[in-house]
Amino acid sequence: MTLEADITLRQGNFTLDARFTAPDGITALFGPSGAGKSTLLAALAGLKAVSGRIALNGASCAHIKPHRRGFGLVFQDARLFPHLTVRGNLAYAWRRARRHALARFDIAEVAGFFDIANLLDRPVGNLSGGEKSRVALARALVAAPEFLLLDEPFASLDGARRRAFLQVLRTAHQRYKTPMLVVTHNIDEAAALASHLVVLAGGKVAAEGAFAEVARRSAFQALLDRRDIGAVLPAAALRSAKDEMIQGYWLRADHVLLAAQRPEAISARNILEGRITGLQSEEDGSVLAELETQAGPLLARVTLEAARELELATGKTAWAVIKAHAV
Amino acid sequence: MSPVEMQILATSFAVASRALLWSLPFAIAMAFFLSRPGTPGRIILDGLTHLPVILPPVLVGFVLLIVFGRRGPAGAMLDHVFGIHLAFTTAGAALATGVMTFPLLVRSIRLAFEATDARLFDAAAMLRAGPWDRFLSVALPLAGPGILAGAVTAFAAAMGEFGAVITFAANIPGQTQTLPLAIYAVLQEPGGEAEAWRLALISFTVAMCGLIAAEFLQRRARRRQAG
Repeated sequence: MTLEADITLRQGNFTLDARFTAPDGITALFGPSGAGKSTLLAALAGLKAVSGRIALNGASCAHIKPHRRGFGLVFQDARLFPHLTVRGNLAYAWRRARRHALARFDIAEVAGFFDIANLLDRPVGNLSGGEKSRVALARALVAAPEFLLLDEPFASLDGARRRAFLQVLRTAHQRYKTPMLVVTHNIDEAAALASHLVVLAGGKVAAEGAFAEVARRSAFQALLDRRDIGAVLPAAALRSAKDEMIQGYWLRADHVLLAAQRPEAISARNILEGRITGLQSEEDGSVLAELETQAGPLLARVTLEAARELELATGKTAWAVIKAHAV
Repeated sequence: MSPVEMQILATSFAVASRALLWSLPFAIAMAFFLSRPGTPGRIILDGLTHLPVILPPVLVGFVLLIVFGRRGPAGAMLDHVFGIHLAFTTAGAALATGVMTFPLLVRSIRLAFEATDARLFDAAAMLRAGPWDRFLSVALPLAGPGILAGAVTAFAAAMGEFGAVITFAANIPGQTQTLPLAIYAVLQEPGGEAEAWRLALISFTVAMCGLIAAEFLQRRARRRQAG
C-alpha cells in the first residue's frame, strides 16, 4: 500500500503545498510546530477540503468522503466516545468495518494485544493517558483502515509511557501490517519508528525519502535544534538490550566521542570504526566530524583543540564511542 | 379532584403531549442545524424559529386560523385530502401549543448539541461512520439527556399555553379547554374564584414537577458531558 499526495490548501495566510509519497511501512511526518503537519493529516483524511491528488495504491481518492476514503486517524487527544465503554468504542469501529466486509480483527484479540482487555467494561472517562492512547490506537486498527494516520500520538504521554507506547506502535505495525504515517516533531520518536521520512517546513515538503538518507540532508538538519544535530543508526547495528522493537536510534553529535585509536578498557558498549568523510568548523569553535561507519554515517562534535590533538582529517580512520544512555 | 377537573387535566395532557410529540423531531432537526457552525441561512432560520416568542400569542393564533382554518390554504388541503380539521379541535390546540413552545424546545436542544464535542464527529467519520450514522450514533446519544430535559420543560410550558390556543382552537370543554383556558372560563362566571384557585394549584403542581424533573435531567446531562 503506497500513499501518494500532491495537494494544495489555503487557510488564511497559510498555504499548504505538499507533494510526497509514503510507502508501505511506517513513515514519519516531521516538522517544527506550525509547519502544517496536523493540517496535512486532516487534508489527507478528507476532514479538510483540498485541491490536488491523493492516491492509495494508485487509486485516486481525493474526491471520496472521509468515511469511505479508507484512512484511519488517531487524534492527538484520543477522542474516545464518552457515552460508550472501552468495549463500546472498539465495537463502534468493528461494526462499521463489518458493514464494508472489512472486519479483519477480533475485538478480544486486539484488546489482549494492546493490554486493555481488563478495561473493556470501563467508561472511557476515567482512563489514564496511556490507556486512552492504547484504546484510541486499538479502535483505529479495528476499523481496518488501508492507511493509518497518527497525529502526535505521544503528545499526551510522559517519559516512560512514551517509550512504552512507541514499542506498542512498532509491534502493532508488525502484527497488523497497517501502513502508517506518524506526525511528530520529536526526532528520537521519528527515528525509533520510521523507515521513511517526510520533512514538512512552512507548509512545504523540504525533503522526503529513506530515513537515513533524508536525515543527512542539510534541508533537514537545518530544522533541528543545534543540540539535536546527529544521524540515525539502525537499531540492529547497536548493542542495546532495552528496545528490541525499535527501528533506529537518533545519535546526537554531542553524544558521540571520537578516538584516533581503538579504545580499550572502556565502559561504553558501542564502539564503531569508520572513516572521516567531512570536518566542519562551527561558529562556537567546535568541529562537526562526519564519519562513515559500516552501520551508516555518524556525526560527532569535538572541540577545536581535540580535533587538532587527534589530528582529525578527512580520509583518516577514527572510532566513534557511543554512550549507553544515548541509545 | 372533581370529574370536571380530571377532564381538564386530561385535555391539558393530551394537548401538551401531542404538541410535544409532533414538534420534537422538527425541533431536534432545527436545533442540530442551528448548532452547526457555517450552516447557510442560520440567522434567518434562527429568527423565524424565535418568532412565536416575540409575536403576541393571539396574533400567532390568528395566523394559524388564516392558514389552517377550514378556508385557509393549508386547512382546506388537510380537510380535502385527509379529512382533518384543525380549527376548534384538540389537534388544533396541540398545533397552536406546539408552535408556541417550539422556540423553547429548539433553544434547549440546541444548547445540548452545542455542548457536545464536535470533534467527536470527525473521530466517528474516521471510523467509517457516514453523516446520518454520526448523527444517530454520536450527536443524538450525547445530547440525549439535554434533549429530554428540554422536552420536559417544553411539556410543562405547553400545559400553560393560552393566547394562541384560545384564538385558534377556542375554549371547548373536553376538547380544547386546557388548565389556563378553564381558569379563564371560571373567572368569567360570578363566584368562580374558589374553582380558579383549585385549578391554579393543579397547574402550579404540574409545572413544578416538570421543572424539577428537567433540572434533574440537566444535571445528569452535565455529568455525562463532563465524561
